Amino acid sequence: MLLHRRIYQFLIIYLMAVGCLLLIKYGFNLSDYVVPGVDDILHTAGAEYRRYFTDVMNTLVVAVLGQIISIFMAFLVGICGRQATWLGSFIKVAAYNVQAYPIVAIAPILFILLGDGLLTRLLIAAMICYFPLLLSIIGIMSEPVADIEHFYRVTGRLRWQLEVKVRAFENLSKLTTVIAGSTTLAMAGTIVAEFIAANAGIGYSIRVALYQSDLAKILVALFLIGITLSVYQGVLELFGVLIRRTWTGK
Amino acid sequence: MRLQVKNLTLKYPETNNHVFRDLTFELKTPGFNAIFGPSGVGKTSLARILTGDLTGFSGQMTHQGMMTFLYSYNLERLPGWSSVGKHLIKVTPTNRHDRREALVNVFGIEDCLQQRFSQLSLGQRNRVNLLRYLLQEFDLLIMDESLANVDEITRETILLKVKAMFPKTHFLYISHNVVEVAKFCNDIVVLRGVGRRPQSTIVAGQDARLGQEIDPHKMDRTMLEIVNASS
Repeated sequence: MLLHRRIYQFLIIYLMAVGCLLLIKYGFNLSDYVVPGVDDILHTAGAEYRRYFTDVMNTLVVAVLGQIISIFMAFLVGICGRQATWLGSFIKVAAYNVQAYPIVAIAPILFILLGDGLLTRLLIAAMICYFPLLLSIIGIMSEPVADIEHFYRVTGRLRWQLEVKVRAFENLSKLTTVIAGSTTLAMAGTIVAEFIAANAGIGYSIRVALYQSDLAKILVALFLIGITLSVYQGVLELFGVLIRRTWTGK
Repeated sequence: MRLQVKNLTLKYPETNNHVFRDLTFELKTPGFNAIFGPSGVGKTSLARILTGDLTGFSGQMTHQGMMTFLYSYNLERLPGWSSVGKHLIKVTPTNRHDRREALVNVFGIEDCLQQRFSQLSLGQRNRVNLLRYLLQEFDLLIMDESLANVDEITRETILLKVKAMFPKTHFLYISHNVVEVAKFCNDIVVLRGVGRRPQSTIVAGQDARLGQEIDPHKMDRTMLEIVNASS
């Protein structure tokens, strides 16, 4: 259900955007060179979909890996930063300040230092989705669930593992939403990295299409990115629902 | 075992109003004693001071022979990831499994054990929550409206049986229900508000026991005393 909804939503938005583009084309009588016609778009799709699909998969793999790294890091730092100690306060302040800086702006430095390979793309993807995730996880983990934790605290049973478990359980919906939402950030981060300097992935293919001023290729790439992302997010949400059902018994 | 509070004064930071000013009382005997008073008079604040959860007060508090204080309240929840029965087993100290079974029977929650906490009624939730406290090691258990959502008959059964099971333990029962405190409690600390002198009065309750009949006239007199003391 969630998966279907995601795909429908994307298709509606995508078709509306393409429709608007075509309206502009025919409204202002623009040439096929500026905005391609429907035939051109379909022809390009037929010719390029295999290559672009492989590129999207390449990008998605990097994005997923980056997302996994950032989820792991965000939980690690979020759990350490949840406490009202000086370390916790330091981590929170540092996270709030660092996230205010546009991470993508330091991407060129990474390319200079690490080259244009997989590692740089992975690092940028992880960094872009890490800070919003961290802020959400710190927020969830630092908020006591007093009506549940009280008993364990007064009877000396509240170990950090139990505290984290209680807070994660009580905020399961928020956590799954944040993690599913961070997929877009990871994908955006990877595409931006590929767009800047990498030599693989759909971002790189879009850059090539841009140099060729081929809007049809860009539209096909955008369609494949959108549909892949919708399916992946839908799968993540389904996974979240399954975890919630198993854990809560509802 | 004795609990003595002397000249307790408390003012919340950044406010001019006192919650307590020279509050003094003493509870000498174990069993069910109560804190009674209108809303906002400081019953929960007093409980939190006793358990050490609230600081910033002045005055003396002595509790001879009492080491472990527990505070339970009616809004507490159990985590929802497993059944009530599993949670109760997990929080039962190794030598208290018989007590757990006896209490489950007294509290009438046998049917709830397979369910999750969120699936229970408010009354069942109150009972399950209080039960897990009774399984712990404590010298004083403060019950802040702990059975507020339980029906009167079940509440009476529970209170009388708990009193019989824990005759030497201190309980501090916080309630707005004048009939309940008058009937079941021994000493009732009536909090009268910060502007009154003295700020608290102790009224002797009927301290009903299992199988004991309460004289209705004595009961009426106790209730009148409580109401007069608090008004």
